[in-house]
Amino acid sequence: MDRGMVIFLGALFTFSSSWLGLIVFPFQQLGHEQPYQKSDSDDPYPQPLQGIAVAGKRVYQANGCMYCHSQQVRSQRFGNWWDDNGEERTGADIKRSWGLRRTVSRDYLYDNPTMLGTMRTGPDLANIGVRNPSAMWHHTHLLNPRSANPWSIMPSFPYLYKREKIVGDRSEKALLLGREWTVHPGYRWRPTPQQWDELLRERGATILRQVLASAPTETFDLTTADGQKRLLDFWLTTPEEDYQIVPTADGEALVAYLLALRKAEVPLPEAKE
Amino acid sequence: MATTAAMTTTVDDSARDRAQAAAERAAIDASCRGPVLFFAASAIVWLLVGSLLALLASVKLHTPYLLTASPELTFGRVRMAHLQAMGYGWLSLATVAALLWQMCRLSRAELVYPKLLILAGVLWNIGQFLAVVGIILGDATSVEWLEAPAYAPPFFIAAVGIISAWTVAVFRRRREPHVYVTQWYILGAIFWFPWLYLVAQFMIFWSTAVGVVQPIVNWWFGHNVIGLWFTPVAVGTAYYLIPKIIGRPIHSYYLSIIGFWSLALFYSWAGMHHLIGGPIPGWLSSASTVGSMMMLIPVLAVAINHHMTMRGHFHRLRYSPALRFTVFGAIAYTLVSVQGSFEALKDFSEVTHFTHYTVAHAHLGVYGFVTMIMFGLFYYMVPRLTGREWASSTLIRVHFWCAAVGIAIYFAGLSIGGWWQGRMLNNPNVPFAHIVNYTLPYLFSRSIAGTLMTAGHLAFTVLFVMNVAGWGQQRAGGPTFFVEPPSASLSGPQRIGPRDL
Repeated sequence: MDRGMVIFLGALFTFSSSWLGLIVFPFQQLGHEQPYQKSDSDDPYPQPLQGIAVAGKRVYQANGCMYCHSQQVRSQRFGNWWDDNGEERTGADIKRSWGLRRTVSRDYLYDNPTMLGTMRTGPDLANIGVRNPSAMWHHTHLLNPRSANPWSIMPSFPYLYKREKIVGDRSEKALLLGREWTVHPGYRWRPTPQQWDELLRERGATILRQVLASAPTETFDLTTADGQKRLLDFWLTTPEEDYQIVPTADGEALVAYLLALRKAEVPLPEAKE
Repeated sequence: MATTAAMTTTVDDSARDRAQAAAERAAIDASCRGPVLFFAASAIVWLLVGSLLALLASVKLHTPYLLTASPELTFGRVRMAHLQAMGYGWLSLATVAALLWQMCRLSRAELVYPKLLILAGVLWNIGQFLAVVGIILGDATSVEWLEAPAYAPPFFIAAVGIISAWTVAVFRRRREPHVYVTQWYILGAIFWFPWLYLVAQFMIFWSTAVGVVQPIVNWWFGHNVIGLWFTPVAVGTAYYLIPKIIGRPIHSYYLSIIGFWSLALFYSWAGMHHLIGGPIPGWLSSASTVGSMMMLIPVLAVAINHHMTMRGHFHRLRYSPALRFTVFGAIAYTLVSVQGSFEALKDFSEVTHFTHYTVAHAHLGVYGFVTMIMFGLFYYMVPRLTGREWASSTLIRVHFWCAAVGIAIYFAGLSIGGWWQGRMLNNPNVPFAHIVNYTLPYLFSRSIAGTLMTAGHLAFTVLFVMNVAGWGQQRAGGPTFFVEPPSASLSGPQRIGPRDL
């Protein structure tokens, strides 16, 4: 037989074995899974994404969130550590409250793409919708993660928000953040000493009134540098008067998707430990 | 065995045979010049693009405010674009250049219709440009190793179809009856990659593989694209270059057979270790753990074979740039593969999964091993295609040390940081904030490593551009050495083998 043919057949055979074993067989094994329904009155679980959460999944994909955040909760028995008494323990995912149980294949029935993830530079998100159901928290965190966790290395996502002049009343969707986070969205703003001196000269009385409105028990001695700095620190935590930050359609969609991530919530018989 | 016989009888070959063989080689190189240099040049362009994206992504991880307001340059997109630029740009295009030239040389056959291969190169580059720009503009799929938006894959498929067909055509027109081990690896690669890519594209994006079947297909592809596309060509290149440069045959023909077939069988089974602990059937990751451990066989076979071939010739690493890069890559292959086998064990994976340790491992593979061997090949191949030597051995030295020290810092930093990151992630009493802060210095060390590597790539690019632009000396006799070897017997393969396979 020709040498080329030997190599061709050999390459075909070895490769087919893994294709049949690792792809075709699991495809058959897992292809017929059905949603779970404990009794007829219950809604089947899982549910496909609905409404703007579908668009939110696109935003999650486009910005590569998966490359730092996994979406899988591992077993109680997975991964060992030692407690203060030197005793061996396992199962950090559930103890970190990343889910009530481990996730199983049925949890991902409607996921497409299925973003299990390979990295935990940030925490797992399989169950973030249950763990942190506040849309407002997610919005403020996405605009600038440092506003919620000073140690965070996650990027800011100011392009999912817009800063706009307030016309009439402040929008209900406006983010509840002090001006240090909103003047320069995505960054943390602080005036330079010269700018602050200028601001105090021009609008000192107004600024003091604003701060005292939100912190009425405080007193500021504006004749001292220390008093001026304290006033600045307080002022930075108060919201801007004329501007607000509201989510764009993409921002709303992404948060809707995050809140829809509730994988390890409904008990499944096969997920028992 | 024919090669061994041919090489041992070389002393008797007449001057006329040598002249004939040299003329044949010159004709083969002339037929390859256009397409191979095109693939090589575009590979280097993507190497630079990928390096800049890598550096940006790396710095962003410890300096999150850098360019944070721009959607195009947010970490996730830059990271995906980096993988696309390196995986499908640099690594794949360099692989194509390597396999085309070596297949022609080893088959002793000219490339026919080389213009069509240039078309394949253009198609691949169009696909690659669309993919990287598409990812940056927000069309990425977030399927790891398959991030390219839907409009890019047709270009890759068309291009790889032409490349595979041409490689087979060269092989079928071979004048050399002996089929050398490098040719097996090349034939395997050009057959496996199109199949892998088509199956993965089809099952993930065009058909109904939803739920956890998708990550299963994803990691079968992601692991095999390294193991059955980059690895065979890089290992095959080492099999070609080491004997060529030191002028002695490969140590054992039988070890190379064992190495090839066990790689073909076991590597393709190893992919599911990327999903250990995940929501997939337990037997799948167990099967892959077995496959991963069995990979010790081909790896050790290749390691022993290369080492025994090199034995007594290690002093030549002082002189030959191509040899030094290649041997560095071959050693890294052994290290990264043995490490990978053990990483697939459940106890090990429990710590290192989801951490920077895995990133360090991946870069030891694609950089320390594949990229270094490709550098070695370029230093050997390009002068033979352009007829000019390298303009500056100092720049080659800069390139080597930047790359070698860069990958060493990269690997050490992220391995140590990643290991402890994993241990702390496993302990629920350690707050997440503490883990993030702990990794920062290691992430910073990666940026230093990346800066060094990028500097090396710039030196390499300058050398390549100078060579192609005709700034080097005309080739006559020996190659460019780091330092001149003490005796003339070391200079160049022409004096050692008459066939110069």
